[in-house]
Amino acid sequence: MKLEVDQLVKRYGGTTALDSLTLRVADARVLALIGPSGGGKSTLLRVLGGLETPDSGTVMVNSRPLPAGEVGLIPYRRRNGFLFQQFNLFPHLTALENIALPLEKAHGLDRGAARDTASAALGRFGLSSHAHKLPAQLSGGQQQRVGIARAVAHQPEVLFLDEPTSALDPEMTAEVLELVQELAEAGQHIVLSTHEMGFAREVADEVAFIADGRVAEHAPPARFFNEPASPDSSRFLSRVMRW
Amino acid sequence: MNRRLWIANLTAALVVAGLLGALFNAVFGALATHTDWSRAWEYRGMLWQGWLTTLSIASAALVCGMIIGLLFMLGQRSNLVVVRWCCRGILEFLRDTPLLVHLLFGYFVILAPLLARPLGAAGWNDKPIIGVLILSLFHGAYLGEILRGAVESIPRTQWDSARAVGFDRIQVYRHVIIPQALRRVLPAIAGSFVSLIKDSSLLNVIGVTEFFYNTRNFITGTYAGLEGYVPLAIGYLVLTLPVAWLAHWLERRFRHET
Repeated sequence: MKLEVDQLVKRYGGTTALDSLTLRVADARVLALIGPSGGGKSTLLRVLGGLETPDSGTVMVNSRPLPAGEVGLIPYRRRNGFLFQQFNLFPHLTALENIALPLEKAHGLDRGAARDTASAALGRFGLSSHAHKLPAQLSGGQQQRVGIARAVAHQPEVLFLDEPTSALDPEMTAEVLELVQELAEAGQHIVLSTHEMGFAREVADEVAFIADGRVAEHAPPARFFNEPASPDSSRFLSRVMRW
Repeated sequence: MNRRLWIANLTAALVVAGLLGALFNAVFGALATHTDWSRAWEYRGMLWQGWLTTLSIASAALVCGMIIGLLFMLGQRSNLVVVRWCCRGILEFLRDTPLLVHLLFGYFVILAPLLARPLGAAGWNDKPIIGVLILSLFHGAYLGEILRGAVESIPRTQWDSARAVGFDRIQVYRHVIIPQALRRVLPAIAGSFVSLIKDSSLLNVIGVTEFFYNTRNFITGTYAGLEGYVPLAIGYLVLTLPVAWLAHWLERRFRHET
């Protein structure tokens, strides 16, 4: 996966979420975005995932510019996958329907094929026994795994994960992170924001430290975690690693 | 339920039944000398016709009102400020003025002079058509407001996730927002449908021969009392109670989903 983000600006009212952010990733399978809350990680992910339109700047994903405008972004979103921090399954649909409905309506599969593909996706992550349960009947970890199954069922080019474990307890966090690791090892291209430093160090090919709407540091994890170059990132790391 | 509570409930039920029985007996006993149920039986055809007309008017207005309500809801959520304000203005006007005035003014002053002739030439009776139109607009305004509240109560994450899976704007509403919004407002919508059925009796002022109009004709023609009004009440309850029950049933069914 190749990313070229140039001078990206995104403002919400008076606050500047992304302040001329520039990031170049030549070739990475897994890119981890880390940094303090409110630093711009989520906004960058939402722009990369095609959910938010930047005020200025350019984004190229795999050498193709990000489409402009809501209508142009729909095919882009269909090509990729996105998972949010809060479990965002559709509460009125079963686990299986949550996956099958987008396959049928957004990807144009016929009903039977959509259900087969959805079943296969659930089976792949050991969720077959939950196929006909509503989200409210699943644990947080199970919901997030169904969310991942939905995000990858159509074999996305890039999978965007916005703090996928921040709303989970440690056990469920492990359950979800293992799944993400499996996906990465199977060759899925992933951009994720996370507060799980151990995971970023283990699984990511590159780490970008984002604070105040900019990339403060960008390096392979071994270098970033052992010898952080910027004072901001070393302060951040010393605080989050302390406990 | 323990034994003492059971006895207390039984006693209360007996007391209430006794009191109501005595009251009904006193009132209806005094009126019984004037009541002749055979008159209602003679007029059964006319009353039945009226009831069927009310059923069709209410059903038609229910469907049209729902469509108008959806349009009002979408209009109020439009990206164009002019559309939003227009919808808001029309909706407030409809909700804040009496239906009786809409019917009288809308029919006699505006719509009948415009539409009565062409509709008549096409072989249609203009009164029920215009009546349904005005009733639908009035209830559409209420439904529009109910639906807008429901749609706005759906959390932002649901919109985000619907967009993220690749749904376009219409699919977001169709598959994600509306199904959830409807579940939340079923009781309110059912309440609005019950009002609509009852409000359809107002169409008598423009001369639609619905249930109330025919019953009133029967009453004024025969000086009937109870034998006119009791079937009237029962006729409306037959229409409204199933709607209320259906709403309660659906509400129970969907409650644990969210």
